[in-house]
Amino acid sequence: MTVATFQLPGKDVTAIVASLAELGFVFGPPRTLTTTLVDTFDGRLHRSGLRLELRTSEGIELVLSGADVVPAHLLLDTAPAVVADLAPGPFRSRVASLVGIRALLPQIRVRMEQSAGTWRDGTDKTVAVAELNERVHVVNGADTGLFGTIEIHEVPGYAKQTRRALEVLRRAGLAECSVDTLTQCAEAADVDLAGFKATATVPLHAPMAAIDGVRAVLANLEVAISANWRGAIDNVDTKFLHDLRIAVRRTRTVLAASKAVIPADVLDPASEGFKWLAGATGAARDLDVYLLEWEQYTAPLGVDTATALESVRDLLTRHHRNAHVALSQVLESDRASALITDWRGWLDTPVDDDGLPRRAGHPIGKVVARRIARAHDALIDEGRLIGPDTPADDVHDLRKDAKKLRYLIECFSSILPDKSRKKYVKQLKALQENLGEHQDAEVHIALLRSITPELVSAEADANTMVAIGELIQRLEQTRLAARTEFAERFADYDSAATQHSFDALIEAISQ
Amino acid sequence: MKVLATYSIKGGVGKTTTAVNLARQAAASGSRVLLWDLDPQGAATFFVRVKPSVKGGADRLVSKTGSLAANIRATDDPAVHIVPADFSLRHLDLALDDTKHPTRRLAALLAPIADRYDVALIDCPPGITLTSESVFAAADALIVPTIPTTLSERTLDQLTTFLSDHPPAPMVLAFASMLDRRKRLQRDTLAHLMADIDGFLPTAIPNSSVIEQMGVHRSPIADFAPRSPATIAYQNLWADIAGRVWT
Repeated sequence: MTVATFQLPGKDVTAIVASLAELGFVFGPPRTLTTTLVDTFDGRLHRSGLRLELRTSEGIELVLSGADVVPAHLLLDTAPAVVADLAPGPFRSRVASLVGIRALLPQIRVRMEQSAGTWRDGTDKTVAVAELNERVHVVNGADTGLFGTIEIHEVPGYAKQTRRALEVLRRAGLAECSVDTLTQCAEAADVDLAGFKATATVPLHAPMAAIDGVRAVLANLEVAISANWRGAIDNVDTKFLHDLRIAVRRTRTVLAASKAVIPADVLDPASEGFKWLAGATGAARDLDVYLLEWEQYTAPLGVDTATALESVRDLLTRHHRNAHVALSQVLESDRASALITDWRGWLDTPVDDDGLPRRAGHPIGKVVARRIARAHDALIDEGRLIGPDTPADDVHDLRKDAKKLRYLIECFSSILPDKSRKKYVKQLKALQENLGEHQDAEVHIALLRSITPELVSAEADANTMVAIGELIQRLEQTRLAARTEFAERFADYDSAATQHSFDALIEAISQ
Repeated sequence: MKVLATYSIKGGVGKTTTAVNLARQAAASGSRVLLWDLDPQGAATFFVRVKPSVKGGADRLVSKTGSLAANIRATDDPAVHIVPADFSLRHLDLALDDTKHPTRRLAALLAPIADRYDVALIDCPPGITLTSESVFAAADALIVPTIPTTLSERTLDQLTTFLSDHPPAPMVLAFASMLDRRKRLQRDTLAHLMADIDGFLPTAIPNSSVIEQMGVHRSPIADFAPRSPATIAYQNLWADIAGRVWT
């Protein structure tokens, strides 16, 4: 752990090295060190107080460290792209528990000439460590120029020697930095180590004009769409497409709720465009989910069946690859580019108050309250019509309505009272989980049925055909169980308690 | 955090060299390691060049106010820390006996630092004592160096019998230590141990002068003889242990 970092003076550092040498420090020859800070797109390691560094000098070393964290290190042959590239063990487990399915991406790459200084006691034991970093510069971004630092690192159990080294540097008049060398590089290159984390809402006030509130929410969602765009094209990890789709769906929900707020000449093409975009991203996402949850689906069927299903997985993997190629073509198309450019253009341009729809100037709180109330009432009405024989499509429609309601609440959460919002969302979420289980099983059954003819024409093994039947049967059981459970879940939702928390939720903003 | 202890009823079988070299290998494979030297001779402490010192002695260490954190020192491997030993540990049995739950005391001392390390490696003194019973209660696995001789085989048998009479017992991971392949009796005994002892690890540590040189270099052999057969053997031994403990 770095205890303190000092700025090196521009010229000669010999005097500083000599002062430390008087204490007992011996500095090795300088070596060229390239350090890459690695994290997920949404900075999961940074947000957990950890730092993952890929250090390249004579070999490749991965170091996981943090404030008050014992550093762990691994020697590697190649840089890992995902956690699964690391050998099983505690290091991988720790990183995996934080980053999950997200790819490990270089955030900033820094090169320097580093001389390691160690102070050893009479038994040749290291009691203090200093690193002299010269010609420090960022190599994968903005030109930050060259600078130099000296860092003192903690050696636990030898605080006295560390203090003495710090005293020497302070006496020499070196300026102490508020952050360490790598953080200085990130700041200089304008790299936010916290990464990009999408939020559904932005700060709003219930009395503000609906058009301003809606535009602020939509602009925030557009940032999330654009931020995840490139990662979805390159399929860096499945979360990019997931987050892109969520932002698109939220956008569609807000647009649908803004018919009396956004001018039709803007609303209609945007609604049409985002509907097309959402549809074009569906197949790739369905296959992402299927492959991510493959083990979960097949493991309960036993080893033999799971093995027999391997050729199904191979086929799905091919479909998955094709679906992502098609998705990339959509996202790189002129139509997609025009959609986002036009949309961003409208969001960035101040609106002309003349000619706005009738509710554009109403308080956002009132407008949102009305829309949420309508969505809630519709959900109750439609849910009450669902019986044991209702077609699956109607259940799916109910699921979509529940999602839209949830998105509305999330997007405008900053004007909703926290306590009643959380209480209501908890009840809504329980219903959504049930509807989600039903729909996932439904989609996956349909997908398996759609590829069965391909397997037949490819003369798939008889065991595979039997196994696919078993898998469909198992998914069908899951679907039926969810369907059976629906009545109970919906009854919980369609209750006086839910209505009470819902009333409290919208009362605060509908004044 | 997994708690491992290098342990044997018999002395001079390679417990300390095993603990120090396994700590090095565990760190090289990405673990954060706490080496806890419980042997009053302090050989593990000596091998990593740390001054033998237990703040307040064994009495304070195991008392209600005792803590391991206050005694932790870094070694020259940043991923390996040590709680050093000193001569006061010769009274550890007596000190433990004065506590309310002596056999739970070492586990209680490890609990507050469990999130800081992936592996705690306890280097134990020989014999079956109150200290070893407290180690058995704290450990997930005992790493038992066994010289392939009749006498060592007998002490391994004594240990497994003791543990089965005192459940719950940690996993026992025995392996051949100080193996001299030139000796037919050792080769035969090893074959017998591998065939008869459940969980006997496949890697054997050779009887090597490189290991003896640890006293001169005062560091794990990977630091001064990285390509020696003994270093590779410890590397394989760690892989064997990790494969058993983390599955």
